[in-house]
Amino acid sequence: MVDVQLSDAEKTYIIHGAQDNLREDGRGCEDYRHLEIETSVVSTTSGSAKIRLANTEILVGVKVELGETSPENPDKGRIEFFVDCSANATPEFEGRGGEDLANEISNMLARAYDCPSCLDMRKLCVVEGKKCWIVYVDVLLLECGGSLFDASSIAVKAALYNTSIPRLTVTHDEGHTELELSDDPYDVQRLDVYNSPCIVTLSKIGHSHVVDASQKEEACCLARLMLAVTDKGCVTAMKKEGSGSFDVSSIEDMLETGKKVGQSLNKSLMEVLVSEDRNMKKKYMTGYLR
Amino acid sequence: MLTNKVFLKKTKKGSILKIVREHYLRDDISCGSSVCELCQHDDKGPVLEEKLTNLSQKVDQSHYIIPDTNVVLHQIDVLEDLSIQNVIILQTVIEEVRHRSAPAYKRLKDILTNPTKHFYNFANEFNKETYVEREPGEKSNDRNDRAIREAAYWYQQHLKKLESEIDIVLLTNDADNRTKAKEKGLTSFTIHEYVKGLKDNGTLLDKLAHVGTGLVHEKDKVQFPEHLPLNEILRGIKSGKYLQGSFIASRENYLEANVSVKSEDRWIFIQGHMNLNRAVNDDTVAIEMLPEEEWSCPSSLMLEETEEKTDDADIEAEDAKLKQNKVPKDLRQPTGRVVGIIKRNWRQYCGILQQSAIKEATRHLFLPAEKRIPKIRIETRQAKDLSTQRIVVAIDSWPRNSRYPHGHFVRKLGNVGDKDTENEVLLLEHDVPHSNFSEAVLNFLPKMPWTITDEDMKHRTDLRHITVCSVDPPGCTDIDDALHCRPLANGNLEVGVHIADVSHFIRPGNALDKEASNRGTTVYLVDKRIDMVPELLSSNLCSLRCDVDRFAFTVIWEMTHEAEIVNTKFMKSVIESRASLTYGEAQMIIDDPTRNDDIATSLRGLNKLAKILKQKRIDKGALTLASPEIRFNIDSETHDPIDVQAKQLLDTNSMVEEFMLLANISTAQKIHEEFPNCAVLRRHPSPPPSNFDPLIKAALSKGFTMNVSTGKDLADSLNSAVIENDKYFNTMLRIMTTRCMMQAVYFCSGMIPEAEYLHYGLASEIYTHFTSPIRRYSDILVHRLLAVCIGADASYPELLDKHKTQLVCNNLNYRHKMAQYAGRSSVNLHTHLFFKKRVVDEDGYILFVRKNAVQVLIPKYGLEATLYLNTDQRKKGPLFVFNEEENTQTCGGISLHVFDRVIIQISIDRSNVQHLKLQIKLVQPQIPEFSVAPTEDDKSTDDEPPTKKQKLDI
Amino acid sequence: MAGIELLSDQGFRVDGRKANELRRIQCRLGVFTQADGSAYIEQGNTKILAAVYGPHEIRGSRSKALHDKVLVNCQYSMATFSTGERKRRPRGDRKSKEMTMHLQQTFDAAILTSLYPRSQIDIFVEVLQSDGGNYCASVNAATLALIDAGIPLKDYVCACSASFVNDKPIMDISYLEESSGGAELIVATLPKSEQIVFLEMNSRLHEDNLSHVLDMAVKGCKDIHDVLDQAVREHVGEVAAISGLE
Repeated sequence: MVDVQLSDAEKTYIIHGAQDNLREDGRGCEDYRHLEIETSVVSTTSGSAKIRLANTEILVGVKVELGETSPENPDKGRIEFFVDCSANATPEFEGRGGEDLANEISNMLARAYDCPSCLDMRKLCVVEGKKCWIVYVDVLLLECGGSLFDASSIAVKAALYNTSIPRLTVTHDEGHTELELSDDPYDVQRLDVYNSPCIVTLSKIGHSHVVDASQKEEACCLARLMLAVTDKGCVTAMKKEGSGSFDVSSIEDMLETGKKVGQSLNKSLMEVLVSEDRNMKKKYMTGYLR
Repeated sequence: MLTNKVFLKKTKKGSILKIVREHYLRDDISCGSSVCELCQHDDKGPVLEEKLTNLSQKVDQSHYIIPDTNVVLHQIDVLEDLSIQNVIILQTVIEEVRHRSAPAYKRLKDILTNPTKHFYNFANEFNKETYVEREPGEKSNDRNDRAIREAAYWYQQHLKKLESEIDIVLLTNDADNRTKAKEKGLTSFTIHEYVKGLKDNGTLLDKLAHVGTGLVHEKDKVQFPEHLPLNEILRGIKSGKYLQGSFIASRENYLEANVSVKSEDRWIFIQGHMNLNRAVNDDTVAIEMLPEEEWSCPSSLMLEETEEKTDDADIEAEDAKLKQNKVPKDLRQPTGRVVGIIKRNWRQYCGILQQSAIKEATRHLFLPAEKRIPKIRIETRQAKDLSTQRIVVAIDSWPRNSRYPHGHFVRKLGNVGDKDTENEVLLLEHDVPHSNFSEAVLNFLPKMPWTITDEDMKHRTDLRHITVCSVDPPGCTDIDDALHCRPLANGNLEVGVHIADVSHFIRPGNALDKEASNRGTTVYLVDKRIDMVPELLSSNLCSLRCDVDRFAFTVIWEMTHEAEIVNTKFMKSVIESRASLTYGEAQMIIDDPTRNDDIATSLRGLNKLAKILKQKRIDKGALTLASPEIRFNIDSETHDPIDVQAKQLLDTNSMVEEFMLLANISTAQKIHEEFPNCAVLRRHPSPPPSNFDPLIKAALSKGFTMNVSTGKDLADSLNSAVIENDKYFNTMLRIMTTRCMMQAVYFCSGMIPEAEYLHYGLASEIYTHFTSPIRRYSDILVHRLLAVCIGADASYPELLDKHKTQLVCNNLNYRHKMAQYAGRSSVNLHTHLFFKKRVVDEDGYILFVRKNAVQVLIPKYGLEATLYLNTDQRKKGPLFVFNEEENTQTCGGISLHVFDRVIIQISIDRSNVQHLKLQIKLVQPQIPEFSVAPTEDDKSTDDEPPTKKQKLDI
Repeated sequence: MAGIELLSDQGFRVDGRKANELRRIQCRLGVFTQADGSAYIEQGNTKILAAVYGPHEIRGSRSKALHDKVLVNCQYSMATFSTGERKRRPRGDRKSKEMTMHLQQTFDAAILTSLYPRSQIDIFVEVLQSDGGNYCASVNAATLALIDAGIPLKDYVCACSASFVNDKPIMDISYLEESSGGAELIVATLPKSEQIVFLEMNSRLHEDNLSHVLDMAVKGCKDIHDVLDQAVREHVGEVAAISGLE
């Protein structure tokens, strides 16, 4: 993330703009920047999505693998998040340079999804106490242009929506469990991501708060609140970040805004995904070729 | 650059991995028709003809045929028929065939490369216009059927566009597929409809396979257990419930078989119809072990399926009869039953038609020549014609309600009893390639007259000044080897072995080389030699005949008089043999004190050294084994055998053998040193101790203990097991020992650990074949490797590829084994012919005692025959009593033991003219109501023309 | 039955290509805005993003600086989901480190390094999807990214692989063909001068066949060069049109 240096006058301009619900790039406080999303971009994955939010570019690949069930949850599958900050985004990420940021994002995603209603993990169980599907969600950060958490969560939800899990037939034979794979590539199970959360980051600028802060706005902001919000408006995770501080009442305000924004974000995301899925057959994948 | 325009992905799910493969669709694939001017044809030009013949009455237009996968799989015999031409084989079909049946795939490929058949391979899966993607919910078979229809439709439209009169006929036996094709406006028939519609369909109709249709007898109530579906079998094998193995039917008893289980390296015994459950020899089967109390053992019963059995004979009753024989506990072997077939390995079988009671019947039973194969039910309208013929038949299926498998007629070979026909049967049954060398192969022969050029001499040493001679069996025209021996100035001896330089004439990779590689070995039948290389090479240019210049690959040793090797040299050379001797002639020269010329001194030197070498070898533990070898004297006009004699062994035989062994060992060391990973070697594994059980048991009955722990011990035991007044006893033991041995095999050195290189029989750590390149391909490979070692020739990629070399070795091993079997069968055939005209009394020795028979070896004819004891025909007299403990058969106070000398009357059983059998009767000892009176001595002394040579490989 | 037929009698490979055909190449320059140069390439199902930063000051330890030429710094990384079986780490394993080194060597030989002493050029390569020929596609992508960044090169660097099947050389092998155990020859060339800047071979190949395979790979590089050159020309045309230079 390239740091932006702002003068006091510029800062004042941005803070006042936020107060008047008119931000420096013409958006309202609760508006996202232009967002493009595309699914099924990497054919080696079970599901994938690519998102571009202004300059933020994220690619998510989901791979499902058969694994052992955990002793605590013998009837459930698992979901695991991994974030990689590519050096393509900035030379600072070279080697292990991006690991801190990556951990932060993956922890937040894990927390957001650590809620029984987000994703039905029982559907991922194949043989109780033995075999289950493990869903590996790998997030690849390719370009940084702000709102990394929000963009990541949207891409993850889209990729999960896009995921198809091969159908297995389980036969029991004298204590032996045999798994048989359907030879029909269309015979698959889809994940129900209707209740999966999206992260909304609210940045405190002056006394007001904005979503999807631009880089200039980030420079004026001392504290951020991240909320993982589902379609129904449930908040599954919450995190405060930054050097500044909040008072209690502003948390409440931000929660309200977060829920509202989160709900509408989820709604429009689902609409886009469903319509894209419908046109899948006709679609010709472009990926990075535009 | 790329010509493909559209790009599609085919997603294929492996285990649980998602595998994505690209699939390019092209627009430059030719339709292969001569009519077409739109397509860009291959360099070879279009395959399908413009003017067509083979018109079926079903279709009034000229047409191309498109068969579906099942038609190709099941009716390959029909497709191979010359009258079927102009066929389009789709890629979809080829791939499915390749996946499902390797033999069918190979035959299909052969047809495709035959230019007179006009078969075209159309790559429909890569064609933009004919590729179809699998639809959701569609089975892969349905998708393939759709792809076939789509391609047929494309052809139809394509030909229409060309305004040609040619139609497309889709042949499929799948009714649903046919209906869908007709909806699309395609012409479609079953192959049966189509062939019936052909104008001249006589034999073609017989060739049709009936899979799952017709031929089921209502009265056939025989119910075999059902075979399990493949997925259940595989699951069972994984869980250890079933075992996988290859099914080897017993030659001696049609109700018994063994399954060699690969994973456990052991044999499982199978007995009875129900347990055998329609498995045919060579099939890969799944078996289930029976509970231990149901285990059984080979019944020591020699059981041949008698002719009278009708179809509805109750197989359950037969099985029950078997069960009555309670098996003592200690004899029980692990026994199982066949639960399913993993892979059928059916081939085409030679045999005869069993005469049917009803004259006009179209359903007949076919009697295969191979005893391990059951009779096959076929349908033919030419039974009368075929009754005197040897014919070839293929199996199509074996339904549960049929005692016999169902098959169809493929072709006829010729009259029964006709020598050529019988030889043909022999060669076919042993898969010996025996067609004439093709034009392409002959093109690589050197042009005559052949002369030596300066270029040839570059890498060669001129050894024409040395007195070299060859020693071979009489009548030998393919002389591989020549020898010399001369004193050196330093007192040592120089010994040279000169081997025909075949690799000079057969260059790697050309058609001649490929043909030789496929044939692998020259096959010697009693009256015929099937050459590995064309005659010009085998009997002329490569053969080291006397008084002509010949290229050779030479090994020269410097030896002390004690036969210690001082050094070894290899070189390519030119030699001129001074004399081509027979073993007998050479022996005479050695023994003739008046001869003191170069040849005589050379031979004597060699003979002396050979004796020392042999002793050294024996001291190391090399085995001297015996196998009854005989040769026929054949009438020069009728080509019938008129006399047999056991092969004589002279000193000179063993002299040549010793030096060949030495040359082979020296070469093996050299090439292994240079090419540790890709040398072609020969090994003879030491047999597992259990192999010796019958030998130990038999020797013990005469009071001898055999020590079999090492080769040396065995050799010593054999040497000491001598009975003074029974000279043949020791020979018998050695014959029995031979049967305990494993097969020696070729292998590529990089493929197995060095400790396993051992040649047990020769007691050598390393061994190969170098000395007979005219008749063995292995030797050609060894020559090439050796030539690279000494810088006389360049290597080439395949030579240094250990996997490819191993594949070649596998083929050589197979061909070698088959050639041996074919040779043996040929001897048997001639034995039959020999006894056709006479009845002879001969000495014999009992080799094995079985429950209902004894097996007798007749040394004079090298013949092993079964003497059935308590046969149904024997109505009077006391029965034989079998003593399993002592392994004897007793009757009327006289016992028959192993090793007993008996006198046997040999004759031909003429009860069935079509199927003559050799039969033996007991003359001595005289057992009342069993033995027969001796015959008058048959004295036939005709002239004895030379026989063809037959060499034994060590 | 026995395995896959890599080259059919009619001369088709498993994916429908002929022996001397490349996979489809599609590429784009200037994918990202923040990097100084970036490119995306698809060679069949192998998809790679490359970004170039620099020349800029040496980052981190100054001691790395070279007094007579630019430091070419590379990083090869594979997305964890790029392969058939999921990778546990995107980079840092032996293979990636080796690949990084190979890239560095290749571009050291191709960049006019003496123009920028005491500075650094970063080349970052990210494999999004891998289906064989990762090195080749990485080199080709990096070349485009370097061109996009305007870094002076001796020539395009084009890389192509070749193998040997049924006694015939085949060009630009896919993962399936790579993993079938045959020989694999990888070269990177400067196509105009036909100089080989990188060469690597795996598995066994008889000496007699080497020249055929090498010829095939070099021919592949030339074909790739034609494709890349056209893409660059189109891109430059577009950029010129946008910035009103036409």
